[in-house]
Amino acid sequence: MNLKHRIVSIAVCAVMLSAGLAIGQTPPPAKGEPAADTPAPPADAQVAPPPPAPDAPPPELKTLDQEVQGLKKDVVDLNKDLFVLQEELLFPANTQVALYVSMDVGTFFALDSVTVKIDNKEVKNYLYTAREADALLKGGVQQIYLGNLKVGKHELVAFFTGKGPVERDYKRGATINFDKGVGAKYLELKITDRVPKHQPEFMIKDWE
Amino acid sequence: MRKAVLAGGLILGLAVGTASLAATPSIVGKAAPDFVLRGLDGRNLRLSEFRGQVVLVNFWSRSDGDSRQQMPALDRINITYQRAGLVVIGVSVDEDLRRSKEFASAMSVSYPILFDTGTEIGKDYYLQKMPMTVLVDRSGVVRYTAVGFRRGDERVYLDHIRELLRE
Repeated sequence: MNLKHRIVSIAVCAVMLSAGLAIGQTPPPAKGEPAADTPAPPADAQVAPPPPAPDAPPPELKTLDQEVQGLKKDVVDLNKDLFVLQEELLFPANTQVALYVSMDVGTFFALDSVTVKIDNKEVKNYLYTAREADALLKGGVQQIYLGNLKVGKHELVAFFTGKGPVERDYKRGATINFDKGVGAKYLELKITDRVPKHQPEFMIKDWE
Repeated sequence: MRKAVLAGGLILGLAVGTASLAATPSIVGKAAPDFVLRGLDGRNLRLSEFRGQVVLVNFWSRSDGDSRQQMPALDRINITYQRAGLVVIGVSVDEDLRRSKEFASAMSVSYPILFDTGTEIGKDYYLQKMPMTVLVDRSGVVRYTAVGFRRGDERVYLDHIRELLRE
């Protein structure tokens, strides 16, 4: 087979292929006339729906948005349930100990870190960023530790470091001896200003 | 016989090498492990507080030559791109805090340098070789990591940074 014959046969193949493709495809219906296999709408459906408001989103988008909102709500609910379940399983009420940090005024103390020891064992060392310290000053309460302790007597020691009066490095401790009963135990590390002495004050409050 | 032994050894070596490469874990695509560390200026910084910005975390060691080369390059990137929403954070993993601080002061880079004397963060980020560079996107997901540094690598960082800043 010479070159001429080859070119001719390739051209014939190409034409046949394109013709086959054209047959395989259904031609689009002409403007104004319905597609052949599409059923004609009933006569009473011929009435055009009222035109939507110019700024209103199309109904499909609205439905999609509602679905997304619904899913978001489901996720939040699920997250809440999982959190409660985790709390109940990992920290049951009869052994649970929760420790919170709060700060009032803060004129004489800029908080940098808190170290917590329970029964002479370090359970938490937390460094505070400026934002976190600000949040505490604005009235925020932080859960710094959540753990388990058996029923009985325990000792908790908290060390606070930061900048004290006149920008000096400041480190103080506070201790509490408490009785862990059968219910959950809540303790609060409170940092307040002792105005008459121009010094910060560190307390541990036992929420019975 | 000798050839067969050599070929067997080669295959075994390749298999072991491939297995060790495959075993190297990666944090790309995962949420960047959060950390809070004290900086050279005494302030504490927490990684998650930069959510919404693109963050480049550079783990370095004073004793590593590549780290010394990399820091000026990262400084130039920080100066150019910080207005566009890039945050560069250097994390020293040296155990000798005093000497590490001296070194960081001498380098006088424009981005914050933090000091990690523990081992937890290294484990979280699978640190094996210094320096290690990690790019975190605006939603807090690790998108790129690079180990070691050669001159010219900063161009690769810039390609990734520009892409993340555009997102």
